[in-house]
Amino acid sequence: MITITINGKEIKLEKPVTVLEAAKSAGIKIPTLCSHEQLEKYGGCRLCLVEVEKIPRLQTACTLMVADGMVIKTETEQIADVRRGILEFLLINHPLDCPYCDKAGECELQDLVVKYGPATSRFKEKKRKVPGGLEDPILVRNMERCIVCTRCVRMCEGVQGASAIAVINRGGHSHIEPFSGGRFDCEYCGNCVSVCPVGSIMSRLHRHSYRPWQLMSETETICPYCGVGCTLVVQVRDDIIKRVVPRIGTPVNNGLLCSRGRFGYEFVGSKERLTTPLIKKNGMLEQATWEEAISLVAKRLGEIKDNFGSSAMGGIASPRCTNEDNYVFQKFMRVVLETNNIDSTARTGFAGAQGFIENIFGQGATANIIPGLSNSDAVFIIGGDPTAINPILGLQIRACSRGGGNILTIGHIKGLEKFNPVVLKPEFYSETVLLEGIVSALKNKKGLPGSNQKLEAKVKGINTAVEEIGEKCGITEEDFTKFIEILSESSTPSIVIGKEIAQSSGGSYKLLLISAINYLMNARIYLLSERANEQGLLDMGCAPDLLPGYRTLTFAEFRKRYETAWKVSLPEKTGLSIFEMIDAAKNGSLKAVYIMGENPVFNLPNSKAVEEALKNIDFIVVQDIFLTETGKLADVVLPALSWSEKDGTFTNMERRIQRLRKAVNREGMEDWMIIAEISKNMGAKFNYSEAEDVFKEIARVSPLYRDMTYEEIEKGDAIYPYKGEPLRGVTEEIQVHNPPEPPLSKGGLRGIAAGKLYLRLERPLFHSGTLSRKAPALVNIYPEAVARISLATAKSLSLKAGDIVKVSTKIGSLELPVEIDKKVDSSAIMLSNNFEDKGAFSLMEYTIDPVIKAPCLDGNEAKIEKVK
Amino acid sequence: MEKVLLKNTENPNSADINEYKKVGGYQSLPKAFGMQPKEIIEEVKKSGLRGRGGAGFPAAMKWTFASADPKSPKYLLCNADEGEPGTFKDRQILEKNPHLLIEGMVISGYAIGTEYGFIYLRGEYPAAKDILNRAIKQAYDSGFLGDNILGKGVKFQLAVHQGAGAYICGEETALIESLEGDKGQPRIKPPFPVNVGVFAKPTVINNVETLSNLPYIIEVGGEVYSKIGSPECPGPKLYCVSGHVEKPGVYELPMGTTLREIIYTHCGGIKNGKKLKAVIPGGISTPVLPPDNIDCKMDFVNMPKHGSMLGSGAVIVMDETVCLVRVCYRALKFFEHESCGKCTPCREGTEWLRKILGRIENGEGAEGDIDLMLSVSSNMLGKTFCPLGDGAASVVQNFVRHFRPEFEEHVKNAKCRFK
Ligand SMILES: Cc1cc2nc3c(=O)[nH]c(=O)nc-3n(C[C@H](O)[C@H](O)[C@H](O)COP(=O)(O)O)c2cc1C
Ligand code: SF4
Ligand code: SF4
Ligand code: SF4
Ligand code: SF4
Ligand code: FES
Repeated sequence: MITITINGKEIKLEKPVTVLEAAKSAGIKIPTLCSHEQLEKYGGCRLCLVEVEKIPRLQTACTLMVADGMVIKTETEQIADVRRGILEFLLINHPLDCPYCDKAGECELQDLVVKYGPATSRFKEKKRKVPGGLEDPILVRNMERCIVCTRCVRMCEGVQGASAIAVINRGGHSHIEPFSGGRFDCEYCGNCVSVCPVGSIMSRLHRHSYRPWQLMSETETICPYCGVGCTLVVQVRDDIIKRVVPRIGTPVNNGLLCSRGRFGYEFVGSKERLTTPLIKKNGMLEQATWEEAISLVAKRLGEIKDNFGSSAMGGIASPRCTNEDNYVFQKFMRVVLETNNIDSTARTGFAGAQGFIENIFGQGATANIIPGLSNSDAVFIIGGDPTAINPILGLQIRACSRGGGNILTIGHIKGLEKFNPVVLKPEFYSETVLLEGIVSALKNKKGLPGSNQKLEAKVKGINTAVEEIGEKCGITEEDFTKFIEILSESSTPSIVIGKEIAQSSGGSYKLLLISAINYLMNARIYLLSERANEQGLLDMGCAPDLLPGYRTLTFAEFRKRYETAWKVSLPEKTGLSIFEMIDAAKNGSLKAVYIMGENPVFNLPNSKAVEEALKNIDFIVVQDIFLTETGKLADVVLPALSWSEKDGTFTNMERRIQRLRKAVNREGMEDWMIIAEISKNMGAKFNYSEAEDVFKEIARVSPLYRDMTYEEIEKGDAIYPYKGEPLRGVTEEIQVHNPPEPPLSKGGLRGIAAGKLYLRLERPLFHSGTLSRKAPALVNIYPEAVARISLATAKSLSLKAGDIVKVSTKIGSLELPVEIDKKVDSSAIMLSNNFEDKGAFSLMEYTIDPVIKAPCLDGNEAKIEKVK
Repeated sequence: MEKVLLKNTENPNSADINEYKKVGGYQSLPKAFGMQPKEIIEEVKKSGLRGRGGAGFPAAMKWTFASADPKSPKYLLCNADEGEPGTFKDRQILEKNPHLLIEGMVISGYAIGTEYGFIYLRGEYPAAKDILNRAIKQAYDSGFLGDNILGKGVKFQLAVHQGAGAYICGEETALIESLEGDKGQPRIKPPFPVNVGVFAKPTVINNVETLSNLPYIIEVGGEVYSKIGSPECPGPKLYCVSGHVEKPGVYELPMGTTLREIIYTHCGGIKNGKKLKAVIPGGISTPVLPPDNIDCKMDFVNMPKHGSMLGSGAVIVMDETVCLVRVCYRALKFFEHESCGKCTPCREGTEWLRKILGRIENGEGAEGDIDLMLSVSSNMLGKTFCPLGDGAASVVQNFVRHFRPEFEEHVKNAKCRFK
């Protein structure tokens, strides 16, 4: 116990903290500027100087650690003078342009000057000027206002890990500059904006459009983009979102955001939002009233059900919609349309991978706390760049590295390259051999523990020698051994798995191998999730084989429970997966499809074929906030309320259930309400008056969410395992699909790729599906689709950055600019699937892994040629 | 006094290893290796050696702290940044007697328990860089550096790292930042470099002159060494004298030689028989003294009694033709230029003070400017992150304290009479 005295008040402390923290804990305010609770100590501004008995020099409270018996004074004449003096120094060169500075009203300098500052100016000379050329589409810098507290730099370097900015020059010429020069070339997380105490780095999105004190409301909600589920504070004026900020203390993101969460909100207010229902008449979508649209949908769905039966109907749910929406959606499909043909784009990887892993380790095996990553002593990453897919999770991996943990990656991971990764880079499509090698090596080192016989039976026979890895993967023994050494010596490892694993050849077999690594290492698994409510949608039963709470449909007992709850009898047959629905559409057996908040024509591979298949369908309903590629094919389009316009819950990848709150008023209906209306029209009783009613039903019927309430979620306790009953233990045999190894190329050792180019999917930090297209800021940062190729490819084809190229595969071609990236695999052409008419999926064929039912995108051979 | 630090430097080839060996060089090394590291530190303690970089910190104490820290490896850094205006004493050793420094560093390294040394060299010393590198190579070739020094299994690797020309990089923690490849700005202390220094390892930083005393201390023993000069801070001292004296230069004299003796006996008095107006005794950061103080002893203990400091021992002598407002202005211009910008009072205060001084010197000073200057500098003094800012503030305070009438005259007459 440490006892100190501040201003005569005795304070007892458990552990040594700074004087500033000690004072704060006792309710004593010491003014500060450069110190910030999220950042490393600095001691630069000198505003927090205090008197400490027995130390002749004044001490900065933000850096001085308390010691037993310390006697501190913070409110003396001398200290008042010091504060006045420091603030005077800060003001002499400050432009004092508060009247048009957006920060005014929440500026720390302004507030401090009002409280402690000098009354008049004694500075007679001209103020310093900082050179211009600071133009950036997102981040507005006004360096005359900068007080060089370096909070932004410490944030960018020490927390975000982007190291994109620094103080340049010395002394009075110091100011903040991105290494890229005037314009930022950074991760655009905006976390520097959050910590700038003055108005010198700000967001252009809300520039000069409001003053902080004019905000009508602040609403805490969850980010609409990825599965991390960051808490956002949405600030609104006149029903327009003005700004999105994080809050320190929230569980997942604790005061941090990524570019999408912070700057991606403008889609809500987009002029392109759908405003009324549309009905297709003579091949044209025309505006219609809600009554017309709903009764038409009810009528047509009823007819098709009567004429072709329930199995001719399907539904696609949405990982962007709330649990409430998805619950009502699957209930509608099962109870009203009487079909289990219900699925989502989670099928493209997440659902299968999670199901596979949970079947081995029990439910919840992938539900691990994100901040826990930073406490791991090693993180093994495969199948995607976590810093782009789930950026805030990525920060935890960076923090792990900073704290001395080891980063082990399979393949080059761009966002982690500055974090001392130990990288194994297998030749194209030789990952399976490498994983077998890792499993073999770990088995030799650690021995099989004997606790999971089913898994052991599957991996016992695997025995891949180091030589084989050298031969097939092009990895040296030395590199491999070093990697294994680090991995095997770790005592608290984590494994991060990206979707590319599920979307590659032998996806289920690779998942088995990764599971084996997890088992041998006693690790924790993190399954990257690209959409905000991918997890929740599965929890809600939007799957052809599972009822809410992952209750297997084919188990009569489970079915019975829901039949009792819903007072109906349920279809017994497992439904069609999303890909099977596309096949059924192609062969004409699917007659109607209801698509809620999803754009399969763009978001499924071989998208042209998907489009053709959907055109075969008699009746398509699309419920969305924009008129998407899929919407254009619909017979009825129903406009839904969007994120921030409705209440509900999301479940993130940690299985944390969080509240989504309405922040903006807009006329219209939530997704669940539209479906409930249609159900009513079809004679079913879906009586919910608000989202909470739906949630109450979920908590009543789904054993996974038992007794959960909005109140409890509010408290932050709603995280797996909560009061509900997960399914534990292995329920089914482990099945894997391990297609024959791809043949070696002529050169022998170099994997199948030698001499050929393959199209691969890029997952950019700044985009997410098709939603981010409607967020102008994100489009501004990353405006168009590009093909990224290696230096070697560029050289051999004499391509320069910016050249327009034609990328073609068997099924189509696209023209777009090329970008050269040294770190890209020499046999890859990287292309994203975000931009209209330029999606990688339009060029990608797939086969389905029979176990995890995910599309394998490997082996899409592509050509690239210069157009101009 | 027999020369210790500048021994043989009148020999034009003194930097060569053979010339150094001819006058007894590298003879202390075997003797040191025959002692326990602890014994060496004990000897240094007896010698009373205090750091020559400016602060006068007892060398043995620093070494004891670092050698007691269990972390490894440890590092020995030689501070050869020599940036304090008026100072050019280390340069003499670096250019004329580099092997003395190398021998001193090997001994210190052995005593502290480190195998790695760096010489952080001032960016503006290109000649010294070449000379040092040549000397280091010779020392490696002769087995005085490397993995098996003198065949005794002692290891010590030494390299030169050149700064980029920032004064602040002479401050030990800024030096460490710079050595690590970051921008040179001071770090928070504690932790001190002896525990958390370069690459977060225990690090001893000593000035060139400090380390160069080691061979002699080992040769004659701490006891004998401690009899040279001032009893409280003994040893030979390099005084570098510039300004209006007949014979400016670097003088090796016993610590505690009076300013009068330095100026009048060794430097031949004031140039052209002019009158002495002021002396800055230890580099620009040390308080200026009027002539009536020149009987003070130039050491760490006696200078503070006269309101100044020994600093680096850089004596700047000014005669009656010098405008002290201008000197003060030039000093502030230096500090403004060299302020690293980390802390508010120094970053803003140096610039403000320079502007006021510029005004006064140009005859544009206003009533109250002198008091404003005193107020601004007192808002800096004791509030800055590192001593650079304090130095800047105290220059203004001391110039005004001793020579206020000259400032007032500038303001009153709206011109500088020395121009
Ligand atoms: C602004 C500033 C500049 C300094 N410059 C030097 C320098 O150029 N050379 C030097 O030896 N010490 C310099 N010092 C002192 C060092 O911080 C440190 O005290 C010294 O190198 C320790 O060595 P010593 O104990 O042998 O004196 C400087 C200190 C400050 C605050
Ligand atoms: S936006 Fe993020 S990455 Fe860019 S400079 Fe700011 S903190 Fe760094
Ligand atoms: S831009 Fe803002 S956060 Fe960065 S140093 Fe300047 S005032 Fe501080
Ligand atoms: S990490 Fe994901 S949830 Fe968090 S702000 Fe970014 S996109 Fe949103
Ligand atoms: S006093 Fe402050 S600004 Fe000046 S050099 Fe030291 S740390 Fe830098
Ligand atoms: S808040 Fe302590 S020095 Fe800035």
